Amino acid sequence: MTVIKHDVLVIGAGLAGMRAAIEAARNGADVAMVTKLHPMRSHSGAAQGGINAALDEEDSWEAHAFDTVKGSDYLADQDAAEILAREAADNIIELERMGTAFSRQENGRIQQRPFGGAGFARTCFIGDITGQAILHVIYEQILKLGVTVYEEYYCTSLIVEDGVARGVVALPMMTGNLTPVQGSAIVMATGGLGRVYSPTSNALACTGDGMAIAYRAGAPLQDMEFMQFHPTTLKDSGVLMTEGARGEGGYLLNKDGERFMEKYAPNKIELASRDVVSRAEQTEIDEGRGVDGCVLLDVRHLGEEKINERLGQIRDLAKDLANTDIVYEPVKVRPGAHYAMGGIKTDVHGASPVPGLFAAGECANVSVHGANRLGGNSLLETIVFGRRAGEAAARYAKEHASPQPLSESVLQRDQALMSSLMERSHRGDGGDRPAVIRGELGEMMHHQVGIFRSREGLASALEKVRELEKRYQSVRLEDTGKVFNMDLITVHELGFMLDIAHTMISGALAREESRGAHTRRDFPERDDEHWLKHTLAYDTPEGPRLEYGPVTITNWQPEVRTY
Amino acid sequence: MKVRLKVKRHDPEAHGGQASRYSDYTIDVPEHITILDALLEVRDYHDGSLAFRYSCRSAICGSCGMRVDGRGRLTCKTKVTDLVKTEGQEILVEPMGNMPVIKDLVTDMEMYWSKMDQVTPWLQPADPGPERENLVSHEAMLDLAQTMGCIHCGVCVSDCPVLEIDKSFIAPAALAKAHRFVDDPRDAKTKERLEELSAVKGGIWDCTRCNMCVEVCPKDVRPMDRIMQLRELAVKAGVASGTGARHGEAFVDSVQRLGRLDEMRLLPASVGLWNAPRLLSEMPGALRMLRAGKLPWNHALPWRKPIAGIKHVRRLFDRARREKKEASS
Amino acid sequence: MKYAFWPGCVSKGACPELYDSMILTCAKLGIELEEMYDGNCTGAGVISEHEPKLADLLNARNFAIAQKMGHDLVNICSTCQGVQSMVQEKLDRDEEYRAEINAQLAEEGLEYKPGLVIKNFMWVLVEDYGLDKLKEKVVRKLDGLNCGPFYGCYILRPSRILGMEEHPERDHYLEQIIEAVGATAVQYEGQDKCCGFPILTNNRKNSLTQAGTHIGSAKDQGADCLVTPCPLCHLNLDAQQPSAAEVIQRELNVPIIHLPQLLGLAIGIDDKLLRMNRHVVGTQAVLDKVMAAVEA
Repeated sequence: MTVIKHDVLVIGAGLAGMRAAIEAARNGADVAMVTKLHPMRSHSGAAQGGINAALDEEDSWEAHAFDTVKGSDYLADQDAAEILAREAADNIIELERMGTAFSRQENGRIQQRPFGGAGFARTCFIGDITGQAILHVIYEQILKLGVTVYEEYYCTSLIVEDGVARGVVALPMMTGNLTPVQGSAIVMATGGLGRVYSPTSNALACTGDGMAIAYRAGAPLQDMEFMQFHPTTLKDSGVLMTEGARGEGGYLLNKDGERFMEKYAPNKIELASRDVVSRAEQTEIDEGRGVDGCVLLDVRHLGEEKINERLGQIRDLAKDLANTDIVYEPVKVRPGAHYAMGGIKTDVHGASPVPGLFAAGECANVSVHGANRLGGNSLLETIVFGRRAGEAAARYAKEHASPQPLSESVLQRDQALMSSLMERSHRGDGGDRPAVIRGELGEMMHHQVGIFRSREGLASALEKVRELEKRYQSVRLEDTGKVFNMDLITVHELGFMLDIAHTMISGALAREESRGAHTRRDFPERDDEHWLKHTLAYDTPEGPRLEYGPVTITNWQPEVRTY
Repeated sequence: MKVRLKVKRHDPEAHGGQASRYSDYTIDVPEHITILDALLEVRDYHDGSLAFRYSCRSAICGSCGMRVDGRGRLTCKTKVTDLVKTEGQEILVEPMGNMPVIKDLVTDMEMYWSKMDQVTPWLQPADPGPERENLVSHEAMLDLAQTMGCIHCGVCVSDCPVLEIDKSFIAPAALAKAHRFVDDPRDAKTKERLEELSAVKGGIWDCTRCNMCVEVCPKDVRPMDRIMQLRELAVKAGVASGTGARHGEAFVDSVQRLGRLDEMRLLPASVGLWNAPRLLSEMPGALRMLRAGKLPWNHALPWRKPIAGIKHVRRLFDRARREKKEASS
Repeated sequence: MKYAFWPGCVSKGACPELYDSMILTCAKLGIELEEMYDGNCTGAGVISEHEPKLADLLNARNFAIAQKMGHDLVNICSTCQGVQSMVQEKLDRDEEYRAEINAQLAEEGLEYKPGLVIKNFMWVLVEDYGLDKLKEKVVRKLDGLNCGPFYGCYILRPSRILGMEEHPERDHYLEQIIEAVGATAVQYEGQDKCCGFPILTNNRKNSLTQAGTHIGSAKDQGADCLVTPCPLCHLNLDAQQPSAAEVIQRELNVPIIHLPQLLGLAIGIDDKLLRMNRHVVGTQAVLDKVMAAVEA
């Protein structure tokens, strides 16, 4: 058995993963990245609006931390939120010095724009391609450092021996031969899970792989019931229209041309936090004041020049995907599944409860976002906690270098699964195609585990996901080849998605309150007495087992939240 | 609407003549969909064995570059209705060019990425840097943003005609990437970069200025325009001493003198009058032209007449140059 | 129909046969040309490479001369067309910049006002003259002559400045004209690619490999000759053809015909007047086919 071996393995090569890899390499570790996409293809690149940091003298990291905690509806761990805000400035400065072309003020300093739920204009940006611009710069540093990248290696499972994470099993898509990859420390950084919903702003690759892999290996997933619905996604495709559009002064209008957010958030109006705006939009639509199942995002008054400079990408996207030129007409938008607040539970160093397993970025839950993330904080999280996880993983790898080889049997389970799948593809029999199951899953999640939830809906969702899990057992494959078998990969991803959806539904059904992005029609109030706690989902053969953990509160006692 | 796709297939595991073929699909889809949507529809509901790359569906990840109807395109940005003008018209989908095919529409982009490595693709700042962020102008950063808009989809490389005949050409995407650093006021190696780009085999002077990359680029990066800017900067920095740079100078000089192109002197001036072997290699061609009456020998006379308005033309030259000088000082 | 005629530098230099055939052909078709004797070189994209504003000034001067003459501008060179369209787009879009340029033209008593129609002869034929009218003028149907179209880069790209939205067929006009005069248009790989001319001095091997490869692929598809609206392409494809053949190590011997020459043959102008003898690659085979068609 040939085994690839490195000190630190980073799974996924988006911003969190690459930032972790850079830090691990700087700390002397031999690092390798294992990623199903080329790093430049990562979905971090689709982040548009910006990255937060208190840079201005009139602003403060404490204010940023408070906004984050308030935005989280007090479910964030406040020690983590403080770290996020405190370390933001230095990290942004470092990104700038690596070559990120942040937009500038007259005096040459980094320019900042207002964003939702923030008390200060503290979102740094590069037009509306902030994620892409940072992703490319971070990748340049990966090249500079010569970090090994196993690209188009699809990860199937975590190798755990004696309770310790020791590597991953990967499927190099080029060959189709399962390969063990050994590492003393593993950093999961695989990003989001948006594809369990339909529609979603997320890339087709965002199938929750890392979360599911960690979950199956015994790590708990925390706060999975909290899914962010972005207020401005395009009607048909779910593609994102940046919050920057509102940050720059754009309006949200209902069918009567009314800036309806004035009713829901009289102070912040369009720049209330995302959960608030999405709920308001859905209410307008449900009560018959929508347009074609949407509301209107209107930026015409900003003028063509500003739109081209600050919102050029979404102008193109709206033109290409919605036939609308935002310079001349408002574009139809609606809330769309966008970001998983939940993920692999970690401490502030990215360490999960499974020794040797770390996590960072959207697949992790530190938790800084709690029940609702603020715009501009996800890119920040990838950089701040990616760096911390990389550093901690390098240290851990040094202390726990394990010279003994992996057992011969590490591939057994995955190999058996792959063989049975491939046999099925050769026989050409089976039930549903993966797209059918995926489609039903997405639709069910959209309707029953969406912005507004209820016991009946969630109970039916639970039933549905169990049915889909059953049907998945006989899913039908059509590609019989080994090389670049995308059919096999999508089938495997679908398995991850079903596991993940199950934890989200269970968490949501159990949480009988409304907090942040989790809104129960049958329990419309926040209930701090019973529910100011984290949900922890553990994998069992019967489905997720839920436990609960405390929320860390340092400076800010929960208050009524208004914008 | 009904959409007909003809998709080029390649099965690396098939034997002999079976490896390459075309598959035809007719699918029923909403009018607003993209080529990528159409392919996903095929993969999901018609033929699960079809392989292609995809991810973001919003023209930012760069995964889904292919050749559609003979031209490199980003398939998530190309609507079916952009191509289908008459009902029932077939759309031809093939893998990108200039790269080996792995399977179906999936190409091996190793060469693409290795060309990036050739241009030292990271910022080389002055050491030590500033304490906080670099203080630079907004315009300078805005300028970078257009080149940085490149999503590395590869369609410019796929369709680059120079690369078809010379694998050493660094090609549009990597040269645009090089421009991104040359153009960055925070980079301390501008001159070294220009020198290298000018001297290296397959560098900036090998572009034929055919505009193909400008035409196919889905992000309006205009790679060729970046290459032209690199040439201009290389000349300005005094590091471009090759034929390409001299050709430009000779060209400009002839228009200044005559108001027109002086093709009789262009070649010798470009390759260098001292470059006897190269001039000799041009001799047979020159003789052929002379024989065919294609070399206007009288144009070589020192008293060849310029155009009537030459003094106005020369004044435009003087003015433009003076302005340029003032701007740079 | 009357045009301000910009012949470009090459038709007055290394390709005199283009100039002569253009004058004769237009006269016979009834297209009036008023030559812009005082026009200057467009810079062929080379000047803009080094001194963009100077290139804009030079072209604006030409535009203003044409406007003073009071006609649309016609050129006979893909490169001229590309450069002119590029500059015009810039000037028409940006009023401030236009004023800056015009301030410098003023001393010569010239001014460029946006909206000048600038058309390559190929576009004029299809859009202004009309293929039906052209067909009526044909006295020698070029039956059996297989022509490979060779466009030249700048008349095709970038399409956004070349009026392709308004005239989406512009990248097929050459085929349409070839068919209109009774010949057959041969499709081949490379008909819309680069001839290699711009790097002839800099990278001779690459330049000639490109020229040779395209000619070869047209020949493989059965082309008797190539037809081009661009004299710079002509230089590389014709004058350099023997060298290109050496570089790619195959026999080529494919005549390269200027667009006006093809028309001239079809409308009955004597081949000597069209200067069909002024080519490096002999055109006798083409003439034989033309005469054979006439006799048959």
